[in-house]
Amino acid sequence: MGQVSLRGIHKTYGEVPVINGVDLDVREGEFLVFVGPSGCGKSTMLRMIAGLESITSGELLIDGVRANDIRAADRGAAMVFQSYALYPHMTVAENMGFALKMAGVSKAEREEQVSRTAEALRISELLKRFPKELSGGQRQRVAIGRAIVRKPKVFLFDEPLSNLDAALRVDMRIELSRLHKELGTTMIYVTHDQVEAMTMGSRIAVFNQGRIEQLGSPMELYNKPATEFVAAFLGTPRVNLVARPNDAGSPSHRAFWQKLVPPESAGIARAGLRAEHVAIVTAAEGIPATVVLAEHLGDASVLHVRIDGLEDLIHAKTGADQAHLVAGDCVGLRPAAERAIYFDATGRRID
Amino acid sequence: MRLPSFLRLSPRWAPYVFISPFLILFAIFGVFPLLFSLYLAFQSWEPTSGLQAMEYVGLGNFAFALEDEWFWKSLKNTAWLALASGVPQHLVAIPLAVFIHNSFKRLRDGVIGAYFLPYITSTVAIAIMFSSLFSKDFGLINAGLHSLFGVENVDWLGKAENIKPAVAFIVFWRYLGFNVVLYLAALQTIPKDLYEAADMDGAGRWQQFFHITLPSLKPMILFGVMLSVIGGLQLFEEPFILTGGKGGIDQSAMTSAMYLYRMAFDFNDFGGASAMSWLLFALVVLMTWLTNRAFRPRGGSV
Repeated sequence: MGQVSLRGIHKTYGEVPVINGVDLDVREGEFLVFVGPSGCGKSTMLRMIAGLESITSGELLIDGVRANDIRAADRGAAMVFQSYALYPHMTVAENMGFALKMAGVSKAEREEQVSRTAEALRISELLKRFPKELSGGQRQRVAIGRAIVRKPKVFLFDEPLSNLDAALRVDMRIELSRLHKELGTTMIYVTHDQVEAMTMGSRIAVFNQGRIEQLGSPMELYNKPATEFVAAFLGTPRVNLVARPNDAGSPSHRAFWQKLVPPESAGIARAGLRAEHVAIVTAAEGIPATVVLAEHLGDASVLHVRIDGLEDLIHAKTGADQAHLVAGDCVGLRPAAERAIYFDATGRRID
Repeated sequence: MRLPSFLRLSPRWAPYVFISPFLILFAIFGVFPLLFSLYLAFQSWEPTSGLQAMEYVGLGNFAFALEDEWFWKSLKNTAWLALASGVPQHLVAIPLAVFIHNSFKRLRDGVIGAYFLPYITSTVAIAIMFSSLFSKDFGLINAGLHSLFGVENVDWLGKAENIKPAVAFIVFWRYLGFNVVLYLAALQTIPKDLYEAADMDGAGRWQQFFHITLPSLKPMILFGVMLSVIGGLQLFEEPFILTGGKGGIDQSAMTSAMYLYRMAFDFNDFGGASAMSWLLFALVVLMTWLTNRAFRPRGGSV
């Protein structure tokens, strides 16, 4: 139970198209992440699955049953909102038991289920409190608890961690992954945070302008992005994209390109190379470049360097052994050509 | 150009000078009458005989007021009118505000304006308009009731038992819009998320109204009811003008505020009127406290 299929889903607000044909099969029990920049339609898609937005055309199937016109509460989906959306005038216990109450479950059974869920989430001592008496992390747990109590077929998360501070976010990430393992329920998780996408998802769907740009496992997307957009969206610092030098290209640009791209490569318009695949050597040994900004993180250093004749800075991620570099230093670059990714003029990857 | 030094304000005094117009006016028209009425409450005084005619009577005025049949009658009238005009105000205003909130998009401001108009209209104009509407033989209300239900002409303002409902209706009509505006403001602050969460939790429209909307409105209900209680207990203008200042047949629309006004200016007993006004004040405080107890929001706002 908990299999969601999207068939040719479209959504328009008046004349404005928001979702332009999404086909997707969410497998039973998987943790699928919708990721993309703001305005790409990922939240709208989630809300359409939830039943909070109507579907303009296309079919939504939940466990094989057409759910387009089933009301939100009856789709077997539970949602955790970005703002948590806890009812402020109800205690934690009442918040968690509200759906059961609406479903006509008896008071004793409600209490029993709520206290069992609260125990699993370690929030039993909060049950009598009101939402305003809770910290952000506690509210988050209660919101998740409210979703779990309903025993849904599929959980929908709409950027649930974006209101938490960085440390708590890491904790909740681990917690949610643990929860997914324990419950084994299908989860669809919307985020714009690529770290959340990479660490939590069994699969990731990258959204761009109302379409799914690519669907696959995190490492698949990272290593074999279908398009430049996917390559650029995943990974920090951003992937380096080097355009084919024209006749007026500078010597350094040409040299860099030749190192990256095999000689017989007519169709390649741009080459992508991740920051960790750019090694820093002495100026004499590699392609000469000037350090514009050096970010030393302690365990690693991120260097933003300029190659003469290239408009964009090249990002390089190295070990802590380069921590002596400062802005203005001259270095050499040695790209790991075998890790380069090639794109044609339309931005699609070429093998 | 520099002013000569005796015309210049030192920075030390400037703030006091600038704030003094308000303080002086407030002292004369606010603080003084307040304290003077407290003083008068313990005096027997007929103002036409001059200040020397004051005579200390201790709690005599209070004792008189509490034994005065008309005082109790006026309190009963006030309570009746406050309930009959106040309760429907809120019972109608809340659903009406929810309806306007959900159903009107572009016309919204116009609709709110229409409901709010009576509130900013002069009481005198309203009272004159309604005395014409309520008139026995030629009034629009009787004409309407007659043609719709075949009701015989009702003597709204000439019969003791009809005056109170007429006054209550006017007060209800006048303050409905004000309450609608209060509740609309509160409705706008309820996060949309809560309704979406309730949708997901399977709550229907009615359940959302009772489980989300009403509890979220509670702080505003407290505020609105408190204003109604205070306003209701001080009700004066509408019945005063409608009944020509006398309270109507059998004083059946004579509110406490009207009675203590008559006590002072018709019967020339300023001491008695002051004592009554302080009794009324005590009542307002008590009722406000009770309202606060009854409508205090559970768990507080977000």
